Order: sequence, then C-alpha cells, then structure tokens
Amino acid sequence: MRIGSPALALLVLALPFASFVLIALVRPLRRAGRAAGFVSIGCMAAALAASFAVWTRGMIVDGGHNPSRTWGWLPGDGGPMATVGVMVDGLSMMMLMLVTLVSLLVQLYSLDYLHDEPPPSLGRYYAYHSLFAFSMLGLVLSPGFLQMFMFWELVGLCSYLLIGFWYDKPSAARAAVKAFWITKLGDLGFVAGIVMLWVQTGTFDFFELFQMANSGAPAAAGFSVIMFLIYLGAVGKSAQFPLHVWLPDAMEGPTPVSALIHAATMVTAGVFMVTRAFPLFALVPDLLTLIAYVGAFTALLAATMACVESDIKRVLAYSTVSQLGFMMAAAGAGVPEASFRHLIAHGVFKALLFLGAGVVIHLVHTNDMWRMGGLFRRFPWVGAPFLIATLALAGVWPLPGFFTKEAILAGVLAEGLTVPFAMLALGAFLTAFYMARAVFLVFFGHPHAAAAHDDHGHPVPFLMDAVCRALAVLTVALGLSHALSAHHDAAPGWLPWFSLALAFGGIALAWAVYQRRAVDPARLSAALGPLDFMARRRYGLDALYAGVYRGLLLGFSRLVGWIDRYLVDGLLNVFSAWTLRAGDAARMVQTGQPQDYVYGVTVGVLVLMICAQWLWQ
Amino acid sequence: MTAEVLGFWVMAVVLVGASLGVVLTPNLFHAVLYLAAALVATGGVFLLLQAAFLFGVQLLLYAGGVVTIVVFAIMLTERLVGQSIVQTSRHIVNGAVLAVAVFVGIAGFLVGGEPAAPRPPWSGDATVDIGRALVGPYAVPFELLGVLLVVALLGALYFARTED
Amino acid sequence: MPLRAYLLLAAVVFALGLYGVLTRRNGVGILLGIELMLNAVNINLVAFSRFHGDVAGMLFALFTIAITVAEVAVGLAIIIVIFRVRKTIEADHLDLLRG
Repeated sequence: MRIGSPALALLVLALPFASFVLIALVRPLRRAGRAAGFVSIGCMAAALAASFAVWTRGMIVDGGHNPSRTWGWLPGDGGPMATVGVMVDGLSMMMLMLVTLVSLLVQLYSLDYLHDEPPPSLGRYYAYHSLFAFSMLGLVLSPGFLQMFMFWELVGLCSYLLIGFWYDKPSAARAAVKAFWITKLGDLGFVAGIVMLWVQTGTFDFFELFQMANSGAPAAAGFSVIMFLIYLGAVGKSAQFPLHVWLPDAMEGPTPVSALIHAATMVTAGVFMVTRAFPLFALVPDLLTLIAYVGAFTALLAATMACVESDIKRVLAYSTVSQLGFMMAAAGAGVPEASFRHLIAHGVFKALLFLGAGVVIHLVHTNDMWRMGGLFRRFPWVGAPFLIATLALAGVWPLPGFFTKEAILAGVLAEGLTVPFAMLALGAFLTAFYMARAVFLVFFGHPHAAAAHDDHGHPVPFLMDAVCRALAVLTVALGLSHALSAHHDAAPGWLPWFSLALAFGGIALAWAVYQRRAVDPARLSAALGPLDFMARRRYGLDALYAGVYRGLLLGFSRLVGWIDRYLVDGLLNVFSAWTLRAGDAARMVQTGQPQDYVYGVTVGVLVLMICAQWLWQ
Repeated sequence: MTAEVLGFWVMAVVLVGASLGVVLTPNLFHAVLYLAAALVATGGVFLLLQAAFLFGVQLLLYAGGVVTIVVFAIMLTERLVGQSIVQTSRHIVNGAVLAVAVFVGIAGFLVGGEPAAPRPPWSGDATVDIGRALVGPYAVPFELLGVLLVVALLGALYFARTED
Repeated sequence: MPLRAYLLLAAVVFALGLYGVLTRRNGVGILLGIELMLNAVNINLVAFSRFHGDVAGMLFALFTIAITVAEVAVGLAIIIVIFRVRKTIEADHLDLLRG
C-alpha cells in the first residue's frame, strides 16, 4: 500500500484555493480576464507538479497503516465529533494526478476556446475553474464521509455555475437548474445515509470504518439501508439510471467544462466514492448486485440513446453515462480496481474526445453531426487525436479502453452476473458503433456544404491543438503501459478476442452504414422500429421527469393559490364582515343617555360580584 | 332590649322609609324633604356608632347645606319653567330588578361571610381623635379637600352664571 | 347590634339610591339618588371604623361628606346650565354622550 506526504497533498489542495481567492477577491484581476486565466493556470501547473511529487515521494507501507492525517473538528462531549484532513493513499494520489492534469489542460484549452469571451466573464470562468479544482481535490483527499460530502456539494455547485456559465441563454440556465435538482435528489440519500452511519458507528472516518468493517462490526440491522442511501448519492452524481437525465442537458455549458466536469472528473465522483468506501459496500452483497445491474442497465440504455443522437456533444454525454455505467457495474461486481482503472483511462480519453469535439465545433460552428463531414482531409491533426480517443473508447488494442473494459467484463463474468455481462457486452458493441458513427459522420464522407464555405478561414488555435495532441500522446502512453504490465489472470482466454470482436464489429457496422452506405440508416432504424422510436425520445424519461416536476409544481401552486384565494381571503372577508356587523350591533348600545351607562356599570358590578362569590368558595 | 337596639330599629325604619319616599314620590319637593329626613336618620345612626362629630357634620353640611342648595335649584328651575315639576320614572321594572340584584349580591356577601368581632369598648372621645388626626397624619388631605371645595364652588358659580 | 346589621341597613339604602338613579327622569331626582348611595357608603365607613376601633374610617366619611357637597354644587350647576340650553332636565332627552 502506497501512501504519500500529507503536507504535499495539502499544498496541492491549497494552490487552486489560493488562485480562487485571488481571482474572486481581486477585482481588477478578475476583470482582466486572461490575466486571471494565467494565475489559475500557473497554480494548476504547480498543483500538477506537487501531485507528481506526492506520487513519486510516496512510500510503500503495510496494510494496517493509517493513510489519513486528520485534525479534530466539531468539538463534542467525548472528543471531536468529526475530523477533517487528507487521506493520501494510492487511490487519491491517482485521482490527484488525473484531476490536476485534466484541469490544467482544460484551462489551457479554454484560453483559446473562450477567446471571444468578454474579459470579466472570462475571469469569472477561471474563478469557477479554480474553485472546482479545489473542491474536486478536496473530495478525493477526504478522509471521511462528512468532508467528502461537503466537497461533494461544492463540486455540485461548481457544476451548476459552469453549466449555467452563459446564464443569459435560457436553455443553459434551465440545464443548470435541472442538473442541480436531480443531483440533489441523490444527495438527499447521501446525507441521510452518512448521518445514519454516524449514528450507528460514531465516526465519519474511512479508516476507522474500514477497521470496523474488517471486524464485521457495523454489519448490523439497517446497515444495508444506510449503504443504499449512500449509494443514491453516487447514482445522482454519476448519472446512473434513473437519475442520468441531467448529464446530457449539462452539455449546454462550454465544451471545456463538459470535458473537465461532465466527463473526466466530477461525474466520476460517484464511482470514486463507491471505490473509496468499497470495504463498506462489500458488507452488503445484495447492494453490490443491485449496483452491478443498475450500472449495466445504465451502460446499455445510454449507449442506445447515443446511437440516435445527432448532436456530437450529446453523443459524448450519453457515452459518458454509458461508461459510468461500466464503472459502476465493475464496482458492483467486486472489482473496484478495474472500475478505478477505467475511471482514470476514461478521464483521459473522454476529455480528449470532448476537447476534440470542441475544436470541431469551433471550426464548423454547429453541433449537428449531419452537417459536418470530410473534416479529416482538411484537418488531419484534429482528426488523428479524436480518432485515437475513439479507438480507445471503442476498446481497440493497445489503447487503454481495451484493457480496462476487458477487466470489467472479466470481473463481471467471474462474479457470475450473466445478465449484466450480456448488457455490458452489448453496450460495448454499441459504444464502438456510435463512436465510429460519429467519426465517419464528422471526419469522413462528403464535406457538407454548410461546413465547406470557409475553408481557409479557421486555423486551429495553437493551444487547443497542443492540448489535444498532448492528451492523445497520454492516451497512447497509458495504453502501452497497460499493455506492458498486462496481467489477465482471472479472465478466460477467449475474453480479449471477444472484446476485440465487439469493438471491430461495432466499427464495421458503422462503416457499412455511414461510410459505405451499404445499408440505409433510415432502413436500419426502421428495422429496429420501436427501439429506435423509444431511444429517440430518450425512453420518455426526460418527459416523465419534466411532467412530474411540472405537475408537482403546478399542482402545489394551484393548491396554494386556492388556499390563498378561498381559505385565507375568505376567512378574512368573513372576519371583516362579522366585525362590521358586530360594530353595527354594538353601536346600538351607545344610546347617549347617562342612565343607560349606569345600567352598564351596575351590570358590571353584578358580574364582578358573581365572580368574587365564585372565587371566594 | 337595650337602648342601642331600640335606637337602631327606630333609625332603620325612619331611614328606609325616608329613602323609599325619596325614590318613589312624584313630587320633587317632597322628595327633597324625604331626603332631609333620611340624612337626619343617617346622622342618628352615626350617633348610635358614637360618632357625635360626624352627626354634627351630617346635620350642618347635608341636612343644612345640600338640602338648601337643592331646594334653591328646584325653586329656580320651577320659576324658569313656570310650573311645578312632576317627577316621572322610567324603566321601573329594570331598575327594581337591578337594585334588588345588587342588594342580594351585597347581602349574600354579608350573610355568607363570618360574623365580625363584637363592638370593642370605646373609651376616648371620637371628636378629639378626629381633631388630632386632621391636624396630624391627615393634614395634607384635609388641606387638599379645602382646595377642592373652593374649586368646586367656583366652578359651580361659573357654570350657573347668567350670560350677560 | 352587630356590625352586620349596620351593613345590611346601608345595603338597603344603597339599593334604594341605585333604584332612584336608574329610574328617575329628572336630573335633580338622579342627584338625590346619588346622595342616598353616598350616605349608605358613609354608614359603612363609620360602622367599620367603630367596630375596628380606628378613627380613620370616620375621617373618610368626613371627606366623603365634604366631597359630596362639592359634587352636589357642581351637579346642580350643570343641571341648571343644561336646563338653560335645552329647556328640559329630563334625562331621557339628554343624549349628548352619543358621539
């Protein structure tokens, strides 16, 4: 077990925070735009260096060693009720590097991508980015559930802010709210779960919880419910069925944001959490099976939806949902290592895919794949990285997707989960198909008239190009490192070939349909009839959510309106009418004749007497 | 039957009878005379209670002063009206019911309460005690009373003045 | 005679005075009723004073008598003024207290 230096990890955490505070508080810097970007990028570069230092200076220790360094917080009667700190083990060190690396590259890329943005809003963009990097790093370093939850909500906030970055665009504002609401739905379960866990065990700390798990202590009644609630948080954050609907809409944000937050890092927080707390989840086998089924189903469902999308970013978004399903399925099958490796690899090549898509969108000014085409010939240096990432995602040897996906399939199969295995295999086939479809539509085929008119107008901006190439190199390097250190001990011998066959089968089908036009896409979709129909309508889930949301909201509003109009107003009207009438009646008492007032006094005295008599006894 | 009991009953009969006369007689002038009788009877009650000084005050101020003023007022209004005033009553039943109810209320308290201690022997002269108290602890209220009387009489004069 | 007898006598006079106040139409008649009520109060004060062996009650009675004189003087003055203005002293016709 490898642990790193807490001080260095804190430095990694402090750098983006410092950058955020600087940009947020120093107004001239924020309004300067690009200068804020430079500050943020500088801090991220330093954080990346520090992350590498954490890794390289890490020490190998035996398993019983506590990898967390914590400080007491929330003073209570018997010592602190919770702790904050950093947990620097292999898992968090890998995540540190992934987060800082992708953040850095995306921030560099954004400098060119958002070139036309007015400086103040560019400053705001980099402030959000720094805050996001801080929050995500804090999340992966969390030594306990409570701290994780706080950073979990912080990344959710950043996601909301960045999806709605162009907040004057109604669709973006709506998408931001939708993402916030739906992830909060899962977070409700998460927070309830960790509080119940605390009530049962008295600690938030992972290390203490793991030690209890080893001795089998917390496996009491209700523990499965607690873990299910915690899992709900991951369902929301990692866009698992049925809470996946927010992620495709989140593509309303700037493309680099989609690459960083909604592909590489934040959405994987759920997977990371399940991986981190895996010893606890492992105590509830039924829940693991559920996680596997939900993950596999999500993977398949999202893959079918990706096949019918025409918006390139939405294709990638559904692809992300699908890959998150793969990771969750792996975690559910009891191989969190495979899940985590896929998380890291996916973070790299999916970021590349999004950034490549960003370049394409930048070049042709449309998201619609049907209006692109033939770009490879004109921009080979844009197409090549995208192609590499596509092959990586499809699972072609020797790129990282092949190894990690095969490990997942092997793990699921070894666990005996046949149905999820079938769904994942079909999902992998569809993954290859829709990615190849996207590549053929965008980069090959005939140049579309709309995209062809300004052939020489757009050189690819330097930073965007460089970042894509760097990520492509990284993808290949990651794949080669996997290939060199390959160890498929558990997997049956036929699995790699099966996996490859799925990938090439999907690519070949896409080639036949979209490149050779041997099969008309319309006839293909007609053949699949109802499935195609359902997938195009996103299985009605979005409509269902919208309907429920609208129905609840409108119903509640109507109810409140009715109560206000008839009950509250009515009551007031009745009261005022009665008051008027009572006043009219009481007016008659005032005759103006002195003796009638004496009557009043006398009656009052009599009442007093009766009261006094009554009290006396 | 001692002299005190006999005196009490005599005074009680006179007082209640005169009071009835005050509230029941239709002739206003007679009512004032009944009032004078009632006031004198009250003075008698004071005598029975060994408050000779108050008896004197009662006779001088009330029977002498108040009754005289009232008679003057009646004469004045009658002269202004030019006819003798006949008293009438209103809501007799209501008034009777309320008056009886108040009496029953008070009597209820009196009958229901514990009987008081018997009359303690009185050695000194009440007049002397009153005189000492008036120039001793009650000097200031006494002086204020004088001010009040002056103000009230001036006010009455102001109200009743003829407008010329 | 016990204290209760004096108090009961005062209560009878008080009730009669109240009856007069409530039923008389004539302003002077009302004043006479008030006098009776005040007398009843005086009887109570003196009786308590005597049975308690404390001269303070008699002093209060004395003050009450003096204040009564002032009250009668002012009350009669008011009655005369009202009579001058409205040509009547029937309380039925006096409803100026109504706003």
